[in-house]
Amino acid sequence: MPIEILLVEDDHGDVRLIQEMLSEAGAVPFSLEIANSLAAALERLRAGGIDVLLLDLGLPDSSGVSTFTSVHAQIPTLPIIVLTGFGDPSVALTVVQQGAQDYLMKGQVDGNLIWRTIRYAMERQRGRRELVLSETRVRQLNESLERRVADRTAELAAANRELETFTYSVSHDLRAPLRQIDGFSRILVEHAGPALDSKSQHYLSRIQEGTQHMGRLVDDLLSLAQLGRQDVHTRPTSLGAIVSDALNEVRGDWGDRNIQWAIGGLPTVECDPGLMKIVFTNLLSNAIKYTRQCEVATIEVTSTGSNGRSTILVRDNGVGFNMKYADKLFGVFQRLHRADQFEGSGVGLATVQRIIHKHGGEIWAESEPNHGATFFFTLAQQGDHAVAESA
Amino acid sequence: MSEPAVEVLLADDNVADAELIMLSLGEDLVGRIHHVYDGEEALDFLLCRASYAQRSFEDPPKLIVLDIKLPKVSGLEVLEQIKRDPRTRAIPVVLLTSSRLEEDVLRGYQLGANSYVQKPVEFERFRQIVRRLGAYWLAVNEPVPSRAFSGESR
Repeated sequence: MPIEILLVEDDHGDVRLIQEMLSEAGAVPFSLEIANSLAAALERLRAGGIDVLLLDLGLPDSSGVSTFTSVHAQIPTLPIIVLTGFGDPSVALTVVQQGAQDYLMKGQVDGNLIWRTIRYAMERQRGRRELVLSETRVRQLNESLERRVADRTAELAAANRELETFTYSVSHDLRAPLRQIDGFSRILVEHAGPALDSKSQHYLSRIQEGTQHMGRLVDDLLSLAQLGRQDVHTRPTSLGAIVSDALNEVRGDWGDRNIQWAIGGLPTVECDPGLMKIVFTNLLSNAIKYTRQCEVATIEVTSTGSNGRSTILVRDNGVGFNMKYADKLFGVFQRLHRADQFEGSGVGLATVQRIIHKHGGEIWAESEPNHGATFFFTLAQQGDHAVAESA
Repeated sequence: MSEPAVEVLLADDNVADAELIMLSLGEDLVGRIHHVYDGEEALDFLLCRASYAQRSFEDPPKLIVLDIKLPKVSGLEVLEQIKRDPRTRAIPVVLLTSSRLEEDVLRGYQLGANSYVQKPVEFERFRQIVRRLGAYWLAVNEPVPSRAFSGESR
């Protein structure tokens, strides 16, 4: 394919000169068309097919830099080499800055220079075009990726909502029959108690224990499901105050046991106070529960780190757990201890984790059997919340 | 001898729950509780229509105990209709239900429920709550003056 060159020049002498130089040194086939005014050039360009433009800035209907900008604005992808006759370097520099591929000074040009300039100009322009093309491709890929992520996120959120609704209705509907089993077995004891032998009374009390346990499971499951539907309303909150609140809540759990409390150094953070109280109530109640065998239990609540990114920790010296099972700790209905040693529904830590995640934070634990356990958690940095919640 | 006046209209489709409620309220009251199994019958009773056409608006129950999940017409719809009707508006309504969904509680109050009580799973607590409800609404609470239902105040 010959190179299609359009020369925009109104001086016949210059036209002839350039024509000769091109033919002399032309190593590749080319065709040269001439336009003698800006209007004629623009008209020819609209028809298409031009590979490179040699443009004199001084034309009958246009002069100076604006000659270049008129053409460049119309076809930004066309390589343009500006011809200047008056040797004004500042004009040359301006047009190059504005997107011309190169410039040539009339009178200082020979055939080889013209051709080299033309080839470089075309090569550079092709590189630029490919760059633009691949940028466009990358952008399109990004957009489609973002769209897919958004779609998947929406699907996931819908599935989550559905699951929560399901859990809610299941646990909700389980309550009535449970109440009835519990209720009628109690009424039976009241009604026929004295007449029942001790075995029958024992069986009845087993029924009641069973219903009570299931009642707790259902209640906890309901709370967990409800949590999923709940929005997080954060405000600056003193964790010290929340811990005192939570401590009041669990006060009944330890009776006359000897517990050394070490609570302090807790920051004020951006969080949902109601939800954070559930976190501490669960963690403290666990610490109290699993130090039951300690003569003197020590429970510590404090924080480390600073600059708006604190790690809160709750540490006890209780029975602890094997780190081998650390990944099961936060799963729903996962329990690491026998129910007759340490009662529980296996929902507490799942609830805690869900709340921490809703705050954009992380939770983990470290322990060694019989050497206590430490639960750590972080909350989102200030300003992270919007991101954390929409995720 | 005329039938004893109905003091409580109990709308609950669950026979066992209804029995537990009656047992909890105590023998002396049981004869004065009218139990219906769905929302439509509750409305028939309160609006003195269909099989209750012989009833009079001037003889309303002292208390309505409504479950939310009722067949045919839901408890919240029953609530909405009786609170909209000037002839039944003044009767106190207690929503006694398993649901603790925030939107149910909110909607209940917005529609004019006088009280919202969740049925606990554990029977001892349930019995206590039902007893207290009965004691409060039937003994402590001042009954609605009868002229609210005789047309004088409309």
